[in-house]
Amino acid sequence: MKKILKNKALQSILAALLCIIVGVLVGYIVLLLIEPKGANAAIAGVLKNFMARKSTGLRLKELGNTLVKTMPLILCSLSVLFAYKVGLFNIGAAGQYVVGAGACLYCALALGLPWYVCLLAAIVAGALLAGISGLLKAYCNVNEVISCIMLNWISLYAVNTLLAPFAPVGKKDTYEIAQINVSALLPRLGLDKLFNGNTKVTIALPITIILAILIWILLEKTKLGYELRATGLNKNAAKYCGMKEKRNIILTMLIAGALSGAAAGLYFLSGFKEWDINQSSVPGMGFNGIAGAFLGALNPIGSIFSSFFIQHITDGGALNLNTQSYPPQIADLISAIIIYLCGFVLFFKTTLNRLVDRSEERKLQKQKAIAEKAEGGKQ
Amino acid sequence: METKPAASVPVPNGAQSEYTIEMLNITKRFPGIIANDNITLQLRKGEIHALLGENGAGKSTLMSVLFGLYQPEEGIIKKDGKVVKIDNPNDANDLGIGMVHQHFKLVEVFSVLDNIIMGVEPNKFGFLQKAEAKKKVIELSERYGLQVDPDAKIEDITVGMQQRTEILKMLYRDNEILIFDEPTAVLTPQEIAELMQIMKNLKAEGKSILFISHKLDEIMEVADRCTVLRKGKYIGTVNIAETTKEELSRMMVGRNVNFHVEKGEPHIGEEILRIENMTVASKVHKNNAVKNVSLNVHAGEIVCIAGIDGNGQSEFVYGLTGLEPLVSGKITMCGKDITKMPIRKRNIGGMSHIPEDRHKHGLVLDYSLEYNLVLERYFEPEFTNKAGFLKKKNIREYANRLIEQFDIRSGQGAITTARSMSGGNQQKAIVAREIDKNPELLVAVQPTRGLDVGAIEGVHKQLIAQRDAGKAVLLVSLELDEVMDVPDRILVMYEGEIVGELDPKQTTQEELGLYMAGAKRDEVVVK
Amino acid sequence: MDLLIQYTLVFTSVLTLVALGGCFSEHSGVINIGLEGIMVIGALGGSLVLKYMSVTTPAIWVVLATVGVAIAAGVIYSLLLGVASITFKADQTLVGTAMNMLGVAAATVVVKSVNIAETMGSNNSPKVIYSAVKDKLLIVQGTEYSWFLIFALVLLIASYIVLYKTKFGLRLQACGEHPQAAASVGINVLKMRYAGVMISGALGGLGGIVYITAGVSQWSFDVGVAGFGFLSLAVMIFGQWKPVRIVLAALLFGLFRALGSVYTGFDFLNNLNIPKSVYNMLPYIVSLIVLALTSKRSRAPKAEGIPYDKGMR
Repeated sequence: MKKILKNKALQSILAALLCIIVGVLVGYIVLLLIEPKGANAAIAGVLKNFMARKSTGLRLKELGNTLVKTMPLILCSLSVLFAYKVGLFNIGAAGQYVVGAGACLYCALALGLPWYVCLLAAIVAGALLAGISGLLKAYCNVNEVISCIMLNWISLYAVNTLLAPFAPVGKKDTYEIAQINVSALLPRLGLDKLFNGNTKVTIALPITIILAILIWILLEKTKLGYELRATGLNKNAAKYCGMKEKRNIILTMLIAGALSGAAAGLYFLSGFKEWDINQSSVPGMGFNGIAGAFLGALNPIGSIFSSFFIQHITDGGALNLNTQSYPPQIADLISAIIIYLCGFVLFFKTTLNRLVDRSEERKLQKQKAIAEKAEGGKQ
Repeated sequence: METKPAASVPVPNGAQSEYTIEMLNITKRFPGIIANDNITLQLRKGEIHALLGENGAGKSTLMSVLFGLYQPEEGIIKKDGKVVKIDNPNDANDLGIGMVHQHFKLVEVFSVLDNIIMGVEPNKFGFLQKAEAKKKVIELSERYGLQVDPDAKIEDITVGMQQRTEILKMLYRDNEILIFDEPTAVLTPQEIAELMQIMKNLKAEGKSILFISHKLDEIMEVADRCTVLRKGKYIGTVNIAETTKEELSRMMVGRNVNFHVEKGEPHIGEEILRIENMTVASKVHKNNAVKNVSLNVHAGEIVCIAGIDGNGQSEFVYGLTGLEPLVSGKITMCGKDITKMPIRKRNIGGMSHIPEDRHKHGLVLDYSLEYNLVLERYFEPEFTNKAGFLKKKNIREYANRLIEQFDIRSGQGAITTARSMSGGNQQKAIVAREIDKNPELLVAVQPTRGLDVGAIEGVHKQLIAQRDAGKAVLLVSLELDEVMDVPDRILVMYEGEIVGELDPKQTTQEELGLYMAGAKRDEVVVK
Repeated sequence: MDLLIQYTLVFTSVLTLVALGGCFSEHSGVINIGLEGIMVIGALGGSLVLKYMSVTTPAIWVVLATVGVAIAAGVIYSLLLGVASITFKADQTLVGTAMNMLGVAAATVVVKSVNIAETMGSNNSPKVIYSAVKDKLLIVQGTEYSWFLIFALVLLIASYIVLYKTKFGLRLQACGEHPQAAASVGINVLKMRYAGVMISGALGGLGGIVYITAGVSQWSFDVGVAGFGFLSLAVMIFGQWKPVRIVLAALLFGLFRALGSVYTGFDFLNNLNIPKSVYNMLPYIVSLIVLALTSKRSRAPKAEGIPYDKGMR
C-alpha cells in the first residue's frame, strides 16, 4: 500500500482528481448560492455535457463538437508544458494562438490557399511570435511572462485589424471558410461518420494525438529532450557542460509557439468557428492550456485527458445551463479554481511522502522496541 | 536514557551557576540521520569554548538548536542554571545569545547601520530613529576596535568589514553569549589575526564565546576549552592548555591522520595550458576581477592557484573554462587557441572542470545519477544514436561502471536522484565524470570543499594519479593544507593578479600568507 | 488637449497605484502576477457599491464606501495568493495566472447572476451600470478629475515613507532581499510577506475601481480590466521597484494609453488615419521596447519568487 502511495504517477493522478473534486464542489456551491432550486440539475448538466442528450446520435454529434474544441486545447497545453519543462512559463500560448488564427484565416480567406499551406502559416506565425519572447529572454533578460502578456494584447489588436476586411459588412464574424475557399478546410477522411455526420470532425483529431505522443517522445527519449530538460532544471549546469542555453531558450519558445499556432490552425480550418473581429479580450484557449498542462501533471499524455475534461465541463456549461438562471461562465470558474489548486499539488505530494515516511519510521521503531524488549527478556 | 529532573538544583541566593549555557543530552534527528546524538556542551562564563568537528559532524545543527532554529527531540538547555526553552531566534536574543553565521545574514542593498539595527529598530510610532542608533554603533566599534563605516552599503565593503558588521549586530543587542560559526574561512591570515584579537577583547569584557571551527591552529591559539564532535556523537571536552593538536585531530577524525599527501617526483612534460594576459570583468563591481594574468601548466604537474576567497579565482576559472568571456588575453590548450572556443569544444578538446559549486554548476540535482554522469558525453555516438535518441542501455552500463570504479554510494544506484545523495558522493560523481573523460587538462576548483577527511584523501589521490598519468592539473584551493601538500607549484592570486610563484617544498605557511594578503609580491614570469 | 491631460492623469494614477501594489508584494518576496485579477475584483466590489448607492447619499460617503469596499475586496482576494504561495509554497506565477482567470470568471458570474436575479432572467449581460451616482466621485464636474487622483497622490507619498522611513519598510524589504537574514534577527518572514501581499491587494483593488470609472459609467466584466494589471507590472519593472521612478514610468505609459482614448480629438492624429487598434496596441508595444532596453540591469528584490523555507540557510 505504502509503496503504491509513493508511486509518482499515481500521486499525480490522485492530486489531479483531488483538484477536480474540490473545483467542482466550489462550482456547485456557487450554483447553490445563485439559485438553490436548480443547482443539482445544473451541476449535473455541466458534468454530463453531451451525455445529457437524449439520443445516441445527438450524443455522438455533441461529443464530436467537444472533441473538435479539445484538440486545440491539448495543443495549447502541450505548448505550455513543453516550455515549462525548460523552465519557461508560456503564458503567451494565448497570443500565439491568436496570430495562428490570424495567419491561417488570412491565407484561407484572402489568399485562397489550400489547407496545408494555411496550417503551416498558422504554425509559423505562432512560432515566430513566441520566438520574440525567446529572443527577448535570451538576449535582453526580459521576463518571458511579461513579454508574452504584452504580445498577447498586441496580437489581438493586430489580428482584429488584419481580418477586419474579411467580415461581411455590419457583421462581427469573418466569412465562413466553406463559403469562400473549400480547399482550406481540413480533410475529414471519413472521421465525421464516426460522430454521426459531424462535419467539423477532421484529421485535426489524429494529428493532435500524434503530436502529443511526439512531444512525449521528444522530451523523454531524445538527446534534445535531455538537453532541454537539463536547461530547465539547472541552466547553470547546462551552460557548464556546454549546452547552448540561449539557443535552447529560443528553440523551446519556437516549438511551444508552433504548437499554439497549430492549435489555432487545426481549430479554425475545421470551419467550426469564425474570427470575431471586435473581440476585446484575448481568447481563453491559451490560458486554459495552462490548466490543461498543470492538471495533466505536466505530462503530454496526461494533458490529453485533462484537456478533454476541461473542455467537457466548459461545453457542459454552455450546452446544458439555463442562461435564464445561471451564467455559463461557471465552467470557467471551475477551471480557474482547478488551476489555482494545481499550485498545491507539490505540497500535497510532499505531505503524502512525509506521511508515508513517518508511518514507516514509526513501524521501524516499534519493531526495534519489540526486538529490544525480547532481548531484555532473555537476559 | 537517564535525565536529571528538569528544575535542577536551585541556585542559592545571589550565587551564580558556573556555566552560563548548558546544552544537556541534546538529540536531534532528521529523516534518515541522527544529526546530534546525545550531545552535551557546557559553556563557562567568560571563556572561549571551541566546538571542533569535521564537516557533517553536527556542529551547525547543535548551534541551530541553541539559536532556536531547530527544536531538539531530546535534551534540555539551561541558561545560568535554569532550564529555558528556545523556540526561535527571538528567544535566543532575549537570553543574550547572538551568532555570527558562517554565511553572513546581511542584506546586501542595505547599509551597515540598517543591518545592525534590523529587528531591534529604534523607532517612534514606527518611524526609524537612526541618529541615536548610529551613535551607539560608533561607540561600540571604537570600544572593541571594530572598524566599520555605518553608512556604507554591504555590497560595497570587504568581507572582513561584513564580518565586523555581524559582530556589531550582536554587541548592539548587548548579547552576552557570542557564537562564531566557522568565522575564519573567508578571511586573510592578517584578518584572522585581527579576529583572534577581537575575540580576546570580547572575552576580556566578560563575554562568553562559542567558537566553531575545524582548524586546529586557531583553536589552539584562542580557545580555553574544546568540545569535539564526530559523526553526530559527543567525543569529549578537553582543556586546551592540557592537550595537543595531534590529540584534538585524533578525537575529531577517530584515528591518526596523516596530513601529508604521499606523492613522488613529478615527470614534467610538454606545456598543455598557456594563458597570456587574461583579463576578466567582474559581475559584482565595475573593476576587472582578473587582471592581466599569465601562467602555464605542463603535462605531469599539479599547479595550484592559492588565495583568499574572492580574489578573482572564480572569475579566472570562468574565463578559462568559457563560462564567462574574456575582456582580453589569450588561452592556448595543447597548442590550439581556445580563447573564443565554446565550452563544448573545450571539453571535447581535452578540458575537464570540477566546478567550485557542485549544486550550481556541477549537477542537475533533479536528474538521476546516471544522467548526471553523462552530462558532458550524452551527445557522443556511444550514448545517442544517429536519429537523436538516447541509448539508455549504454548510459546505464556506463553509469554502473563509474559507480563501481569510483565507489559512488547512493540509495538506488544509477537511478537515484542526485539531490538525494550525500555531498561527498555527489562530489565523487563529479570527480568520476571529469576524470573518466580522460582529459589533457583537469581544472579542479576547491574539489574537497565540504568533504570529510576520508573523502578528501580520496580526491587528492585521484588528482595525483592524473598527474602521474601525464595529465596537466590546475588546482584552485582556499585550504592552506591542501595548497601546501598537493601541488608541485603554487601561484598566489591577490586582487585578480598573480603575485607570486612558490615551491611548496621550500615555502612556509607564513610566507604563503604574506603573499595571499598582498603584503609581498614578486614579478612572475611565464617561461 | 485638456482631455488628453485628464486621461493621462487618470491612467497614470491607476498605473501608479497598481504598480506600487506590485512593489510592496515584490519587496516582501512574492511575485504578484495576479494583480490583473485583483483589480477586477476590486473594481467589482466598488462598482456594485456605486450601483446600489442612492442618488441622495452625500458625495463623501459615496467616495469612501466605494473606496473602502474596493480595497477590502482586493485585500481578501489577494489572500488567495498569500495562502497558496506563502503558506503552501505554491508556484507564484501559476497561482497568479489562476487568480487572473478566476477574477474575470468570478466577476462575470457574479454580475450576470445579479442581473439575472434583478430582471427575472431577461437580462443576463455582464454589465454593471453605475451612471446614477458616478458624478459624485468627481471634484470638478464635467472633467475626469476625481477624488481618486488625490488618493493616488497621498498613497504614493505614503508608500515612499513606509518603504524607506519606517521599521515596517525596512523589515519588509529585508524579507524580499534575504529572508534568512530577516529570520535570524527574529523577523517573522511569513507574516511580513502576508503584509506585502495584502497591501498589494489593497492598492490593486483601489486601482481597479479607479480604472473602470475613468470616462465611463458602466463596465462589462467579461473583459476584465483589459491587461492594465499587466501594464502596471511593466511599469513596476521599468520603475525599478522604486516609488518615485514608478510614477515617472506610469506617466509615460499613461500618456500612451490616454492617446488611445482621446486621439480622435486631435485633428493631426485623425488625419494620419491610423486605425484605432494601433492606438490600442501602443502602450503594450512601448512597454515591450522599454523592457527590452532596461531589463539587463534590473534590480529586482533578490529573493522574489522563492518560497521561504525555514530549513534553508
